[in-house]
Amino acid sequence: MDKLTVLITAVLTLLLLQTVCVLAEEDVKGREFFEKKIRPLLVQHCYECHSEAAKERQGGLLLDRRSGWLEGGDTSMAVIPGEPDQSLLIKAVRYADEKLQMPPEKQLPGDSVKLLEQWVRRGAPGPKDEPGATEFSRLGDQKYLFAQAEQHWAFQPVKAVSPPEANLKTWNNNAIDQFVFAGFSENGLTPSSPASPSTLIRRLTYDLTGLPPTMDTVKQFVENVTQDRHTTTTEAVDRLIESPAFGEHLARLWLDVARYADTDSAYRPDTRTPHYFPFAFTYRDYVVESFNKDKPYDDFVREQFAADLIGFKAGDPELAALGFLAAGPFANRDPLESLDDLIDVTTRGLLGVTAACARCHDHKYEPIPTADYYSLRGVFASTVRVNPLDEQKLPLVSGYEPSPADLADYEAKRAAIDTEIAKAGKGKSKNNNQSIGQKIRETDLAELLLFHPGAPARAMIVTERPRPLEPVVFIRGDANAPGETVPRRFLKLADPEQTPFPENASGRLQLAERIVDPKNPLTSRVFVNRVWSYLMGSYLVDTPSDFGLQGSAPTHPELLDWLADDFVRHDWSIKRLVRTIVLSQTYQQRSDHREEAAAIDPQNLRLWRANRKHLSVEALRDSLLAVSGQLDLTPRGRAGVLWEKDYTHRRAIYGYINRFNLDPTLRAFDFPTPVQSQSKRGESIVAPQTLFTMNSPFVIDQSIAVTKTSRFSECSSDQERVDALFELIFQRTAAPLEIERVIRFVEIQSRFNTPQDKARRASTWPLVAQSLMMSNEFQYID
Amino acid sequence: MNFYNNSQLVSWLSRRELLQRSGLGVGSLALTGLLAGGGEISAAPARREKSVSPLLASAPHHQPRAKRIIHLFMNGGPSQFDTFYPKPELQRLDGQPLPDSIKNKLQPTQRNRVGLLFGSPFKFRKYGESGLTVSELFPNVAQHADELCVLRSMQGEIANHTPGLLLTNCGHSTLPRPSLGSWMLYGLGIESDELPGFIVLCPKGLPTAQSTNWTSAFLPGVYQGTHIDTETSGKELIPNLTRDDIRSGSQRAQVALTQFLNRRHQQFRPGDERLESRIHTMELAFRMQTAGTDAFDLQQEPEHIRKAYGDSIQGRNMLIARRLSERGVRYVQVYHGAGQPWDNHGSIVPRIKQLCAESDQPIAALLSDLKQRGMLEDTLVIWGGEMGRTPTTQSGTKDVNKVGRDHHIDGYTIWMAGGGVRPGVTYGSTDEFGMQVAENKMPLHDLHATILHLMGFDHRRLTYRYSGRDFRLTDVHGRVVDELLA
Repeated sequence: MDKLTVLITAVLTLLLLQTVCVLAEEDVKGREFFEKKIRPLLVQHCYECHSEAAKERQGGLLLDRRSGWLEGGDTSMAVIPGEPDQSLLIKAVRYADEKLQMPPEKQLPGDSVKLLEQWVRRGAPGPKDEPGATEFSRLGDQKYLFAQAEQHWAFQPVKAVSPPEANLKTWNNNAIDQFVFAGFSENGLTPSSPASPSTLIRRLTYDLTGLPPTMDTVKQFVENVTQDRHTTTTEAVDRLIESPAFGEHLARLWLDVARYADTDSAYRPDTRTPHYFPFAFTYRDYVVESFNKDKPYDDFVREQFAADLIGFKAGDPELAALGFLAAGPFANRDPLESLDDLIDVTTRGLLGVTAACARCHDHKYEPIPTADYYSLRGVFASTVRVNPLDEQKLPLVSGYEPSPADLADYEAKRAAIDTEIAKAGKGKSKNNNQSIGQKIRETDLAELLLFHPGAPARAMIVTERPRPLEPVVFIRGDANAPGETVPRRFLKLADPEQTPFPENASGRLQLAERIVDPKNPLTSRVFVNRVWSYLMGSYLVDTPSDFGLQGSAPTHPELLDWLADDFVRHDWSIKRLVRTIVLSQTYQQRSDHREEAAAIDPQNLRLWRANRKHLSVEALRDSLLAVSGQLDLTPRGRAGVLWEKDYTHRRAIYGYINRFNLDPTLRAFDFPTPVQSQSKRGESIVAPQTLFTMNSPFVIDQSIAVTKTSRFSECSSDQERVDALFELIFQRTAAPLEIERVIRFVEIQSRFNTPQDKARRASTWPLVAQSLMMSNEFQYID
Repeated sequence: MNFYNNSQLVSWLSRRELLQRSGLGVGSLALTGLLAGGGEISAAPARREKSVSPLLASAPHHQPRAKRIIHLFMNGGPSQFDTFYPKPELQRLDGQPLPDSIKNKLQPTQRNRVGLLFGSPFKFRKYGESGLTVSELFPNVAQHADELCVLRSMQGEIANHTPGLLLTNCGHSTLPRPSLGSWMLYGLGIESDELPGFIVLCPKGLPTAQSTNWTSAFLPGVYQGTHIDTETSGKELIPNLTRDDIRSGSQRAQVALTQFLNRRHQQFRPGDERLESRIHTMELAFRMQTAGTDAFDLQQEPEHIRKAYGDSIQGRNMLIARRLSERGVRYVQVYHGAGQPWDNHGSIVPRIKQLCAESDQPIAALLSDLKQRGMLEDTLVIWGGEMGRTPTTQSGTKDVNKVGRDHHIDGYTIWMAGGGVRPGVTYGSTDEFGMQVAENKMPLHDLHATILHLMGFDHRRLTYRYSGRDFRLTDVHGRVVDELLA
């Protein structure tokens, strides 16, 4: 007998017993008494906060059904039949206890209290529960939720589905296409035709590297495609996937999930500088490298949770993987909050379940008992985060050999700061109990370590607590109200046997192993869904960090399973997954609107066309630098500032991210605030984005730089100049109408230009270049 | 059903996501806003540009009493005993130790830090018909006594700045939650096409807890407050607002060239509402250059107005606040200054004198000005800090110019005016020493519930689905305090 049957039998038995009881005559009278005398009182004074009708169940208590007052709320039984003096409900209405007074506004009149006492004395009779499942009676009912979970798609094992035959030859070569095509047939849709070669190569280049193609690349591709589309496309995809830019682009997908930043979520009040994480960058580099090396996703996860426990030693770049745990938001919160963050990033980020909701009570909508929360909490509480500034304990990472000049400069500056610290001795700084030396370490020294290319590279790590903590459930999340002890172990949902983790370890490694266990149905599905959207511009499951009962259903469940199964069976290879997706006809369709298809599926859920995508803020910035010949492709290393004076010319992934005070430009372009794991980015369309492209010195600089490129300066006529700008910025030739319009602009500007105007930094041609950079064409990928 | 129009919804938030996020009941507002351009609720007049914008103006749950808020944040925690809450008993027993009967009720940590009772050295007197008692530090604000609704029983949760600021602004002392201003934008959209809907003014930098004070947390980023440092003035206030290295005519022509390209681009890509929206947003941004500069250009005010506010940082703060409110900014928050200027642990007497001297006249001018323009009726003005201060001294010294007061959260004072609050009343009280709330305790959640009520919202129904549950500003708390409503 499976669990579900057991449950159903139990429920039926219970109902039967209740029916028998209800038939007793005393009960009939009792219910009459309830309906006449008690119900009106409850309706008037209690139901506002304790009834299904009001959709309120404060303190977990319902008073509109017998089970409500018998089971009681979070505290305990509200009514003990026959025992008014022992019943919390009576205590509350008597207003004797200062901490428990109900109704909160005003004490009930004496005779009402007496009636309630009388009712309890009679055994607190009342109506049996409404038959059938109502939403409220099931809220937080873990038995019910686990029964639901038995049928929930995301909690079922990933099935190795064989794709259905598509009756269109071109859509029969890739499993993705076969599944998607089946969706067309069911809905009376037809696929869109393949994107034009120039569109396709621009799309591929952006989706696989986050950068625009060059005009030469486009020309070459278009030429070769006419001979052999398949081979040309495959070769282009392979070239792009193997370029270092691939990892730099894909890494951002993961860094959103991992809430990556270069500082903590707090700052020093006296200096108003952030608490720096000078070595977080080695984690970012580890992520980029992992994507570039096609590190199997299961190893990627293992290393981020437990690199120190699977044999990596000081010097190994893999140790920096622990930054996933160590570089999270920490200082602004008490330790409980930072543990909450680790539970949240683990469960929403990797498993697509919202376990952090189970901190104060069993999850209301998901099969996650509060014990699960504290089991995981035990794992992280048994893990020690090494202070991000502790140069003694944070191991060096190899592979970052600074140039002799940088090293010498660093050492000189370092010596000066060390002297300052020594000079400060034990003096205390003003308005602060810390020593001046500590202040210098946290400000000047930390800044030097964070930004100076000559500074040593270290890994932010966590270590094992000498003696692991036995987790205790905190009742209602209150650390002062300890409840039962629970072992460190995995979520009940994915490990029904509830195997405890070893007693002598935090359980980080075991947790990671559970997460990447091929039998775990969530991990692979959650990850392939994220990668899918990164390339396709829409999700198969639209709530990427919530695959639970409350999450969205997949638009293509079989496709999702096929992708997840294929991913795991091919050694969790991300490059293979990406390749499979972009080589599909589904991915390579045109993005054009089609009236007849939109009438059936306006949101393109069935993928009858490609999605037109807006550039991420990273891709936008990188593109501006790329088209103006200003992009510095140096990989790895320390963060640089993104927009202010002396901004870095390196890719945006190497930009400095201040978690506490997120840069306003990043914010304006939907960059997620890295204080918690981000499920997805939106696309907002707001004026500050346009003000940025219109007026920011960064964009103006690039608009001038384009006109300094040799391609532009070698032009001898205005028409050639227009052509050059269109080719550099849009990677296409300008249409006659466009040339005409630009030349008119140039002429009018020149007519009004005074000699002073001509001497201005941004003369007419940079304005044209910027005009192109401000346009929708530049910022959207068809 | 018009499917073409329907497809317009897709772009910003997917429809499914929208429905999931809307939570209980909020569908009536967030959806009204978002769907209005999509033809489902055809009565709602909406420009097409907004059909993909989360900031589309939308209706609240009920008829609002206040349309906008100006929140004057005395960050640091002003002393209630020296401003709006006289305690004669405290003045009588000045210099004596706190009676054990009161002391024993305190938390042990608090007990050890308590100094001697410290009666306010400032004189109080009654003002207006309401007879509100105000200290000599606020002689000008006191002229508006009959407009004020003074809350004397505010209760915080944790007696420190960051938790107090976060609780006051975002409804939770520790966890990252959306700020009141973000909730308002989420519920109401923006009124102005040319300015952000939620602006935070703070001269000389950022208040303690920085941008967390106006964070949108898990609400979409567009609902976040825009911070403006009012120490500088004019166009530097909004990032990238203008450029001055070209003639403005050149920029107009340049935008026209871009729009030509955009129109062509769009012509070949029908059915994508985002492209249209971006074209309109570019026009908006172009207008914002002028409007943004304009709102901060105080030279446009007649001299008598400028004089009334005074030529000072606080004067400029208040006047900008009014100009922004007037231009449709829904929530203007004005911090006194960077950090926590009202945090007077020492030398409270000279310091609070100065702080009040800086702000008294400008705040009074703001109230007069709003009233004279008929704006006070539907503008809710809030004055207060993230906590109050102790009735006892903190430092060991007895020198009246050196003593200070510590943080205090059990019974501090704030006031509100306009926007549908009952004028000329006080609400709540503390015990004779001002140590604990005696009657009508007022937790922040109740204040939030009441503010949202004034803005037209049922605080229990303004929810947002995130991470598997419906969040709201008041979490599981909050009560609308009817006594405060006009």
